[in-house]
Amino acid sequence: MRRELIDELLAALGPAGVIHEPARLLAYECDGLALLRQRPSVVLLPRTTEECARTMRILHREKIPVVGRGAGTGLSGGATPVEGGALIGFARMRDVLEVNVADQYARVQAGVVNVDLTLAAEKHGLFYAPDPSSQAACTIGGNVGENSGGPHCFKHGATTRHILGLVIVRDDGSVLDLSPPLADPLGYDLVGLFVGSEGMFGLATEITVRLVPTPAVTETLLAIFTDLDAACDAVSDAIAGRLEPSALEILDRLTIQAVEASVFAAGYPKEAEAVLLVEAEGSEIEVEATLAPLRAIAHKRGAIDIRRARSGAERKQLWAGRKGAFGAMGRIAPDLYVADVVVPRTKLRELVAASTRIARDKQLKLANVFHAGDGNLHPNISYDRRDADEVRRVLEASDEIMKVVVAAGGSLTGEHGVGLEKQEFMSLVFADDDLRAMCDVRRAWDPDGRLNPGKLIPVHACREMRGTGRPR
Amino acid sequence: MRPQEVVDYAKSLDCIHCGLCLRTCPTYQLTGAEPSSPRGRIYLMRAVAEGQLAATDPQYREEMDFCLACRHCESVCPAGVRFGEMIETARAGLEKTQPRGFLARTARRIGFGTILCSRLWLSLVASSMRLAQVTGAARLLGKLGRPLVEMPTVPPKSERAALPSSTPAAGTRRGEVAMLEGCAMRELYGRVNRATVEVLTLIGFETKVPSGHVCCGALHAHNGELEGARELARSTIEHFERCGSGPIVVNSAGCGAHMKAYGHLLADDAAWRERAGRFSARVKDFSEFVAAEMPTDLKGALGNELGTLAYDDPCHLCHGQQVRSQPRTLLERSGAARVELPDSESCCGSAGIYSMLRPNDSKAVFARKAEAFRSCGADTLVTANPGCHMQWESGLAREGVKARVLHLAEVMSAALRKAKR
Repeated sequence: MRRELIDELLAALGPAGVIHEPARLLAYECDGLALLRQRPSVVLLPRTTEECARTMRILHREKIPVVGRGAGTGLSGGATPVEGGALIGFARMRDVLEVNVADQYARVQAGVVNVDLTLAAEKHGLFYAPDPSSQAACTIGGNVGENSGGPHCFKHGATTRHILGLVIVRDDGSVLDLSPPLADPLGYDLVGLFVGSEGMFGLATEITVRLVPTPAVTETLLAIFTDLDAACDAVSDAIAGRLEPSALEILDRLTIQAVEASVFAAGYPKEAEAVLLVEAEGSEIEVEATLAPLRAIAHKRGAIDIRRARSGAERKQLWAGRKGAFGAMGRIAPDLYVADVVVPRTKLRELVAASTRIARDKQLKLANVFHAGDGNLHPNISYDRRDADEVRRVLEASDEIMKVVVAAGGSLTGEHGVGLEKQEFMSLVFADDDLRAMCDVRRAWDPDGRLNPGKLIPVHACREMRGTGRPR
Repeated sequence: MRPQEVVDYAKSLDCIHCGLCLRTCPTYQLTGAEPSSPRGRIYLMRAVAEGQLAATDPQYREEMDFCLACRHCESVCPAGVRFGEMIETARAGLEKTQPRGFLARTARRIGFGTILCSRLWLSLVASSMRLAQVTGAARLLGKLGRPLVEMPTVPPKSERAALPSSTPAAGTRRGEVAMLEGCAMRELYGRVNRATVEVLTLIGFETKVPSGHVCCGALHAHNGELEGARELARSTIEHFERCGSGPIVVNSAGCGAHMKAYGHLLADDAAWRERAGRFSARVKDFSEFVAAEMPTDLKGALGNELGTLAYDDPCHLCHGQQVRSQPRTLLERSGAARVELPDSESCCGSAGIYSMLRPNDSKAVFARKAEAFRSCGADTLVTANPGCHMQWESGLAREGVKARVLHLAEVMSAALRKAKR
């Protein structure tokens, strides 16, 4: 990058806001998907919406592509830099601006870590429901970009259901303030449109989120199975029985072993083939009305034991184990590929088995840990990115899993977004007309296609769009 | 030199890049910069090993130096990455690939090679520091003297005397222990050492101090002087073997964590590996030992005598040794009024000699701790490590907070004394 431009950015953001030394840029090559790497030409860390806007105006003038980044914990390459592009990181925008207890909302800067929002709300008997497994690191801004989920989204819905307002810095550095919290959005629901746009519509800098009251009673159960299929069937039964716990998670044997060897050891029995983690919340009567039939289903499906968390600390531990699962897989191999597909919940058993078979055929190590209640599978494939042949087999397995899932009526992503990882598979689900409609919306926000270019939309579908970029 | 010799490549592969360490890292908290985070630093180490980054890159050195080596990241790492060991190896590698200038090299040789290894020198330095402080000469030295002006006054010679080589148990004798007197602890906080002996003997343990022992080598290891650290480790093992085979009680968290890791430090030394392992198994933090051995009933001795206490977990106790409940158990039993310090497991910025090497970063890290202390309503801060002790004393004074700083052993000796009455 030109020296004068760096100097201009330094003047706009101060020395702590600009990273341009090649060695330090290296650390930004990838997000949680370490398979895809690209060094950015500069990383910018604004402190405020105003600083972010100022930066975007400069980058717009220079026609430099921009990728936004929260904490870089995403798993689909949404924050992978683009060649010659700038990365705008939100790690210095982490102020909780307001917690409005009476109206049950909070206003935060985009870089606030998910768990810090939860802690800020907790004091007032409120909580922020979407809780991705990476919640101890990931940012609300990143959650908005990817429309992130989490175990408790089974009951409460993914991020999009919890965003009331946004302040957005647009591609040209202008600021769009969609922040006043209105019960029902007037006019077009731009906020709804923006959530899940994977950094391609603009950069959210301030976010107003819905908070919900902490339930009177929360109960957590751990059902232990000697058979993964049986655990899946128990979940299918629960869904068919119209039960509504707040979370239904399954961990398989390999995941349990990795977690139990880690600092997040939760007391999952190591000899189990699967555990089903269930949480229910509400009044005492509601919780019991949900858990009693669930217990019966688990027993019927062959659970050998059902344990109940006896305290808040025990419950936390059970969840910490689940949420540390991705990282714990570092004990198996240096890298982990986390697929993120959604399947019809009547077909959990067969599609879990299918992905296991696909991995086995390719001599890959696969672990399952997933949001069973949502039908959101995470077949986790361990690998070593230094082994080119293994990488090839991982990608092939991922292809096959996605194809099997789509053929069974499922979807490509539950919560991790499309990013770079699943871009080419969009055509499996969408016709060209559908993709073109997406391109049209995208062009309305970002006429030059400078924001997170090359993500989400498969390249062939956007050829047309590239040809019609606004002349300058 | 091959790049894989200047970093711990194998350990760098344990990191799966999940990012759960980010929020705990004090330097990431300060900067929001990925290369200043554990995950980012590991990424750089791996890049060095794989030839993507030159080990001679000055920014690489800066990121490794910026780290406080607090090991908070280890406590939240699901993959079990041993970051503390990795940063030590990376720093040792940097001493080879980016040798320091003549002045810095000489200063390090004098500091690590001469002063820290010799009681005579330590005592001489402590006396000169005290002289400069009490006469006001430190102020005249300008920038050079600033650390002296800001740190607590070094105690007079009478308070820096050696501990007796053996102190008999008070009352019924239940056993004997050896105790680490420490290099800096004796010079700066002799009162803590005496309180430690008092507690140990009051609960029935004859307390031995190996004569002639000076330093365990923790500061050497943390700063990449691994050879010097190994030499001191061997000497420490020999000294303590002369004091029998019972528990070795350590009242300095940084030293304790390091002495418990001698097995790792000397893993490549066939003649010492097993001896080191046996030695490490004997090492107990003061709180670990006393919580297990002290009579439970102190009749709620302390009450409000020392004000309201807040305990700050030294990093190398909670993250380095996984000791969290024992200090709190002891404070509970002391009967003292107590509140929890928010974020007590985050680093105070002392980090061994970090506060002297990078005073501005150290102060910036401390600012959050001061805020936490103000918010919790305590008037006495309790710690269990001399570096943290000094950082809190000078930091609170600088921030204008009136508060007392005590070592856990001082609180417990007051409680035991009162209970005996």
